[in-house]
Parts: sequence; structure tokens; C-alpha cells
Amino acid sequence: MGLPGRLLAILLLVATIDFVANSIVLDRANDFALREDDAARMAEHLTIAYRVIERTPPANRSVVARELSTERFSIRWSAQPDALPTTVSLTRLRAQVLAFEPDLGKVDLRMHLLPLRGQGDIGGSMTLSDRSYLTFRTFSRSAWTLNLGRVGQTVLPTALLALLAWFLFRTTLRPLATLVQATRRVGSAQPQSLPETGPAEVRELIHAFNAMQLRIHELLARGSQTLLAIGHDLRTPLARLQLRLDNAGIDPAAHQEMSRDIDEMRDLLASLQAFVESGDDRTAQQRIDVAAMVQTLVDAASDRGADAVYTGPDSLDMVARPVAVRRSVSNLIENALHYGGNVRVAVRDRGDLIEIEVADDGPGIPDDQLEEVLQPFVRLDNARSRDTPGMGLGLPIVHRAIRSENGRLHLRNAPQGGLRATIRLPRVPD
Amino acid sequence: MTAPSIVLVEDDAPLRTLTSRALREHGYHVRAAATGAEMWVLLENEPADLVVLDIMLPGTSGIDLLRRLRKTSEVPVIFVSARGSEEDRVLGLELGADDYLAKPFGTRELIARIGAVLRRHGAPTDDAAEPRSSEIRFLGWTLSVARRELRSPSGAIVDLTGAEFDLLAAFLGQPQRVIGRERLIELSRTRLADSSDRSVDVLVSRLRRKLSAAGGQAPIVTVRGIGYMLSAEVERA
Repeated sequence: MGLPGRLLAILLLVATIDFVANSIVLDRANDFALREDDAARMAEHLTIAYRVIERTPPANRSVVARELSTERFSIRWSAQPDALPTTVSLTRLRAQVLAFEPDLGKVDLRMHLLPLRGQGDIGGSMTLSDRSYLTFRTFSRSAWTLNLGRVGQTVLPTALLALLAWFLFRTTLRPLATLVQATRRVGSAQPQSLPETGPAEVRELIHAFNAMQLRIHELLARGSQTLLAIGHDLRTPLARLQLRLDNAGIDPAAHQEMSRDIDEMRDLLASLQAFVESGDDRTAQQRIDVAAMVQTLVDAASDRGADAVYTGPDSLDMVARPVAVRRSVSNLIENALHYGGNVRVAVRDRGDLIEIEVADDGPGIPDDQLEEVLQPFVRLDNARSRDTPGMGLGLPIVHRAIRSENGRLHLRNAPQGGLRATIRLPRVPD
Repeated sequence: MTAPSIVLVEDDAPLRTLTSRALREHGYHVRAAATGAEMWVLLENEPADLVVLDIMLPGTSGIDLLRRLRKTSEVPVIFVSARGSEEDRVLGLELGADDYLAKPFGTRELIARIGAVLRRHGAPTDDAAEPRSSEIRFLGWTLSVARRELRSPSGAIVDLTGAEFDLLAAFLGQPQRVIGRERLIELSRTRLADSSDRSVDVLVSRLRRKLSAAGGQAPIVTVRGIGYMLSAEVERA
């Protein structure tokens, strides 16, 4: 059933229940009877009041009426009838009273429940011979349950409506919440079809989403294969070029420069490969000592003469894909060394999370580009002008690899200068 | 001494010619094959001292070729790949290849790797001859020679630099025997890739730090004036 259908159903249901509750209250009011002696006493009061006021000159009637009133039975006289709000009439009670004092039948006796605002007492009116009115009200303890019913009757439909609306929203919104979560993961892993639940409109949306997810996955897979194929096809000609160069007998300086060019091309291809692989979650996760891994990378850098420092534990176990973590930290370290000149890497144990922070004292990344640099093939302006090699895949590789480990990469510029790249990974996959 | 004989398996013709020429110029005897089938023929006619195998041959899976080769022969294999994926590299090493080269490679690198593999495999040394054991165990640690991977007692992979790995392998080759510093320097330089000048002392201290992480004392003992010694018992799988 669609949403309009469900809403209509709820409204009809509530209206029906309201109607039924109302009828019940009316019925109960009609059937409401006092204990016999209470009814007798009420009948007496009414009769006496009527006779006395009837014989009192109109000028004095108000005063006398007040004098006749007691705490539990108050009487008022007025020349005109009050505009009485229509409330529940007490048919059976009236019959009870008339049974005791049949004469009251001639005075157009009316009895009803006063509105809840007026404390729900029993009220009524009698008409005098000169067409003026006596209105009375009396408090009766047993009317209390009746009044409770009236309160319930007002509150019940509202409460019911609220409850049903809440259920409707939940069943509608819960599949939507799952949908939103799923949209965040599109493209990153094997697509999982979402179950089509909820109202018709939501089911249609989920169905369309599942189809779209598949299409996106296929597009990406095809794109990845293309990149891989390009990379592969370029390597053999490059290998030939390298060997020809080695054989060509060129002077050593030129040979070295050309070799370096070929190396650069090879590195570009390797980074392309790494980028495609970083979105892959086909390899298995393993237990790794991430502290030893990071230390090894830092040691390797400092062995090459770089200013690289490690802080953190000697050993820290976690579960992840080793290539993903190693490549990510390695890329961040290379970036820091290249753009910042130095690197400080810290590994921290945060209970469920492992934190790896790579810091440098370089220029950082302009704030407005912090998000952009995570996109593939984006390069900062100064990188191009400084003739820096690379296709702009270093950070995207880290971003994708860490995301495939259910972690997060966070980039920020430190107040004292330099970039802080922080990787947070769950210690064990859940 | 006859020149070592190399069988080269590469489907790209120009590359095959260029590589063969480079190898001959460095004193090797080369026979070239364009397909797996040709390789079998060549090996049947005359055994080789080393096989350089391109695993991306059309038609056959180079990995399968390697597997079949290993069933019948212990000949050292260096496999070459244009794909460059980590999976390939690890799989190849696990299947028993001795080394891995990614295209494009330079002549110097090729020659150096071939030299290193032949040295490791062929020449008898005064070390106990290293059988092609896949795993070495000590104190709950496991070193996988093929994958060049060290695992702690908790099963976690502990990364080592190339030099650290070679140093550890050297210690494990002579357990409970003192190894002189000079010898250690020599042993830790078997790979071209890691040409670092780090002194043996720094490498030993790094190894100690990594090996003591499991909660015990690192099993590398300093012997004053001579060198170092691995004090643990070693078990080869």
C-alpha cells in the first residue's frame, strides 16, 4: 500500500475509533443513574427549589435562589436561558428523578453533564411558568467515572493517531535510513542489494537504487580494467626501451637521465596500478604489527637520508590488509618528505581504533583544497609549477585504501604550519 | 668453468632478443623460448642453471607453468611480470620462485638479481647449505623464506627491511654460533635493492626491538669484540 493509502487508512481508523468512543460515552451517560436515595434527594431538591422560586416575586428570585443553594447543589435564576453548550444529556437519570417526583415532568426538566471545563458536574434547567429559567448544578461523586470516560474520549483519538503516525513514519523511514547508509558505500565495494521493504513508494525507490548501484559498480569495474590494461600494455615497450638504452652506448650522464625518465614512467604506471588495487577488497585481511610496519617505513626513509622520526609503541597488533596500510602510510610519508622536507610519524593505540598521524613542517595544503586533493588526478598548482613527478594519485590511493578498511583519512593544516594527515582504522574488523 | 646456462621465456620478440643479448654480453649462455611449450622442450634437451620466466604469456598462465615446473625441478626461477600486482608477486614467491622482476627493468638490475639468485642457490658456502625450506621457526616466531615475511608468536606480520630480513636469515642459518661482524655485513647485503650503509649494529638493535616485542628478551646476544649470536633454537619446516 502506498503512503497516501496508509495515511487514509490511519485517518479512517482514528475517525472510526473516535466515533465509537463518543458513542460509548453517550451511551454511558444515558445509562447513568445515581443510587436511589441520591436520586430521591435530588428530586426533592429540585421540587422544593421549583416551588419556592415559583412563589417568590421575580425581583427577589435571584437572591432566594442563592439562599437555597448549598455547597453541593447550587441554583441560579435567570430571565433568559443561558446559551448552553450542547453536552451529554443524562436520560436515565432524568427518568430516575421523574420517577420520584412526577410533577417535575411538567417543568421541562433537562439534565446533562456540564462541559469538562465546568468540572463535569451534573447540571440542568427547569422552566418556570413565566418562562424564566432555573439552572442548577450538583456535584456527584459517581459521575466521576463518567467524566473519566469523557476525558478518555477526547484524549484517546489523539493518542491513537500519534501512535499510528509514529509507526507509519518508522516503517517508512527505517528503510530510508538503510538506503542513505547504502548510498555512502556506493562504488567502494561489492554492491549488496537492499531488501525492498516499506510503503510502495519507498520500495520503488529502493529497487531503483539497487539497479543504479549495479550500474555504477559495472562502470567502475570497466574503468578499472581499462586503466589496468593501459598500464600493462605500456610496460613491455618501456622494458624494450630500457634495454635498448642500456645497449646504446650513450655517455653515462645522458644514459642516467634517460633511465630516470623510464623509471618515472614506471612509477606512474605503478601508482596507476596501486590506485586501481586500492579499491579492491578481494585480498584477505591479516593480523599485522602496525607499529613495526610504520617503524620499518620510517627507518627505510631515514636510511635514504631523510629526516624521518617515529614515535609510538614498539609493537601494536591489529587486523587489516597489509598492502593497504603499508602503501597508505608509505604514500603519506613520501608526500611529507617531498612537499614538507621532513616527516614525523606517530602511532597511537586508542582502544578500538588505531591512529597513525603523519606530520610535516611544509606548506600544507590550502584549506579550500583539502577535500579536492582526495580526488584522483588532482594536483595542487604549486606541484605542477615545481615540475613534481606523479599523476596526483598518492592521496586518492590512501583515501580509497583506508576506506576499504573501514577507516578514515583526515587532512588538516596545523596551526604552527605543515600538514597533519591522520589515519584512523578499526583495530579489528566488525 | 662453463658459463651458467639460462633459459629465457618471453613472448615479445624484440624484448626477447634484447634481453638475450644483454645476458650474453654478461657472460651467460642463453636459450630463448617464446611459449611454455618451447620452454619444456629446451629444458628437456638440456637442463638450465636458471629460468627467467615471463608469467604473462598468452594462452598459458605463467603461474601454472611455474607450478608445474616446481613439481619436477628445483631449478632457480626469476619471474617477470608486466602486471605488477602484489598478488602476483606473493603468489609467485609462494609457489617457489626465487625472485621477481617487474617490467620495465634495467640490464644492471637483471644481471644483479640473476647473480644473487645463482649465488644463493648454487655455490656451496661454509654456511650449512640452505635447503629450500619454506619456513623457519624460533621461539614462537616464524620466518617464511619464500614470502620474505616474519610472523610474531601472536601470528601478526612484522615488517622487516630487506637488510633486516637478510640479517635475520643469516642468524637463523647459524643458530647458536657466533658470527663475526665482517661476515654479517657481507651477509646482509645479498640484495641489490637495499643498498643502505647502515651499520650492522643499528640493524641488530632494530631487529632486537622488533623481536622483543613479543614480551621476552630478543634472542640476539652481543659477543664482545667478535660479533653477534642468535641464542634461540631453530626449527626448519
